[in-house]
Amino acid sequence: MKRRVLAAFLSVAMMASLLVGCGSGSNSGETAKGDAEAQSWQDADYTGEDPQLETKLKFLTIWAEDNDNGILINKICQDYKDNVNPNFEWEYEMVAADNLTQKIATLSASNDLPDVFAYEAGAPLRTLIDADKVADISEVVETIGVEDSLSESAVALMKGLSETDALYDLPLGLNVEGFWYNKELFEKAGCEVPATWDEFEEVLKKLDAAGIQPLVTGGADKWLATRLINAYAVRTMGNDIMTKAANGEADYTDEGLVAAAQKLADWAEAGYFGEGVTTVDANTAGSMVMSGKGAIFYNGSWFTQNLTDPSQNPAGEDGIGFFNIPVVDESISSATSYSMNCGNILALDKAKFNEGTAWFLKYFIENMGNAAMEELGTVKGYTYTTEAESMDSYTKLVLNEIDKATEGFAWWEAKMDAELSKTAQENVQPLLNGDMTAEEYMQSIQDVYDLNK
Amino acid sequence: MKRVLGNKKAIALFVVPALVLYTILVMVPVIWSLYYSLFNGSPGLNWEFVGFDNYLKLFSDKKFLDALSVNARYISVVTVGQVGLGLLLALMFRFWLRRCKTIVRTLVFFPVVLPTVAVGQLFAKIYEIQPSYGLLNSFLDSVGLSNLVQPWIGQESTALAMLCIMDIWVAMGFYSVIFYGALLDIPEDILEAARIDGAGSFQMFRRILLPLLRPMIITSLVFSFSGTVKMFESALALTNGGPGTATKSLSMYMYDVSFTYNKVGYGSVIAIVIFLICIVGSGVINMFDVKEDKR
Repeated sequence: MKRRVLAAFLSVAMMASLLVGCGSGSNSGETAKGDAEAQSWQDADYTGEDPQLETKLKFLTIWAEDNDNGILINKICQDYKDNVNPNFEWEYEMVAADNLTQKIATLSASNDLPDVFAYEAGAPLRTLIDADKVADISEVVETIGVEDSLSESAVALMKGLSETDALYDLPLGLNVEGFWYNKELFEKAGCEVPATWDEFEEVLKKLDAAGIQPLVTGGADKWLATRLINAYAVRTMGNDIMTKAANGEADYTDEGLVAAAQKLADWAEAGYFGEGVTTVDANTAGSMVMSGKGAIFYNGSWFTQNLTDPSQNPAGEDGIGFFNIPVVDESISSATSYSMNCGNILALDKAKFNEGTAWFLKYFIENMGNAAMEELGTVKGYTYTTEAESMDSYTKLVLNEIDKATEGFAWWEAKMDAELSKTAQENVQPLLNGDMTAEEYMQSIQDVYDLNK
Repeated sequence: MKRVLGNKKAIALFVVPALVLYTILVMVPVIWSLYYSLFNGSPGLNWEFVGFDNYLKLFSDKKFLDALSVNARYISVVTVGQVGLGLLLALMFRFWLRRCKTIVRTLVFFPVVLPTVAVGQLFAKIYEIQPSYGLLNSFLDSVGLSNLVQPWIGQESTALAMLCIMDIWVAMGFYSVIFYGALLDIPEDILEAARIDGAGSFQMFRRILLPLLRPMIITSLVFSFSGTVKMFESALALTNGGPGTATKSLSMYMYDVSFTYNKVGYGSVIAIVIFLICIVGSGVINMFDVKEDKR
């Protein structure tokens, strides 16, 4: 009997020590190490030749090696190894976009973040910044002297998203969002591209009267629908309305925001989105506009990926046009303010950052702009000197719009934490279906906000 | 044999490896969850002890109660549907179907081996309304019932029912095979005797088949129940929990809370609730068995 008691006691003790070991302990050692290394990389001189330090970097991203940013990252790593530092090694790992935040949260909890990783700007990155897990990119960029290679507007956007004075991430895109429309359908219904919101509503009515479905949206993917609420909210209440709401300076139940949600509900009620809008995903919505089954589609400039693919786009090279969100009142939100973002961003682990990483980063930032232009014909938020040889009309259109932009604002959920953003997205479906009123929708967001304050 | 099993060392040799594995894979995580449920935040990032706060939160959390209600409705419909239709199919194979029995049985069993995601895609196509009508809507449209055409999985009123239909369709073949096996085990002479005594079809079912199939029915109910409590992948594949939260189950909510909202502590509480539902539910179903033994 005694022995059994002893055994039970010992196993409890072992469990307890295991749990305690997991909980703390590891933190202090890691920080100390981080500080020591931080010292050394800042002291180095980055003006001369690359010292060819032995460096091994681990990348965690959401792109396959032969896709989008995956191509660019691997190309730059390969070039760096071939041309500059033969002692450079890299390991490239990919996770599904849906699992990214969770994976990074887990790795960060066990102090095992990859050297370089893709992440989401806004609230998710802010959590890592507050936990002191990611490298201060402003400091790095200044020390290694590559400020000029980052696009100013991208830097401003990213600082705005994380609401920090310093920069903690690197851009992997520079996107504008707005309305893509099918030119043929516009012509058929006798519509002009609208500049003001009233004109826009007119266009919708005209299209509807002509028997054309005026709008499509990806109600199944949810975020496309909330973008429409954001569009009206920003134009009626100012570019910073969602930031104000996130900081508690405005309520989510504010009249103006309710009116914006009501706008979406009204359109759905009027049948502008067609039947079963909550079952349509982003791809279907996109192909509906391209094939002329719907006239207007709100989406970002990444939609050009589909537009430039002739097998997906029967409307052809000049069949789809773009206009910025129509203006309600110029003094509140101007016609040259665009919904802009930097796509998924790259962040670097603070603890493992060292001189070798800094040298690589210097090469990366200096060459990313040109590589993106040459390989993909896109802008990634870095300055570039080359012109893509055969830039297609849609890419030109997007670059043109980016040039026009004087101010940027973020998307609906940018400043919301994970739970708030999930609520905002989930409940947009009952809002579209009429199972929830605009007041109830905004109240549901406010409730979660209050709960987690 | 008796001597071997009488030896304590021999018993230990047989039992211990499995017991150790079971403890590591089942008991430790359960205890771990219990421990986690007393904390707030996510381990390592912002981890703080909150005592029983998470448990109290449960009762005022509307999303949790919604998910619980979704689970309850789903379990009751799908369990009864899977086992009931499975039984009906088995009776059909045994007594009614004379020709093509094997082919029909294979066809009915076929969905069981299909991957859930593929089934989800298949049914999403069947229920489709935009950009073009799916099988169901185009059928309704063509027989002149176009006023019944609707976004079956895009509205709260029908989404859960459509999901239930899909899951019943997937699993009823499995249960029909189990019941068919049990029916073949019932000796022909008992049925013969019943027929001579003048039992009609219903009486035969009620007085002879049902009592003899009872253990099988209970096992099947437990199977089906524990399969439906964890409702996750089929809902994810067909509706992704939508529209809104109309088809969002407890496990999906638990996943969101633990891994999207990073509230591992509160997520553990929900996991414990699922665990309790499983135990209590199986217990209730098994009670019918115990009663029979005592009689």
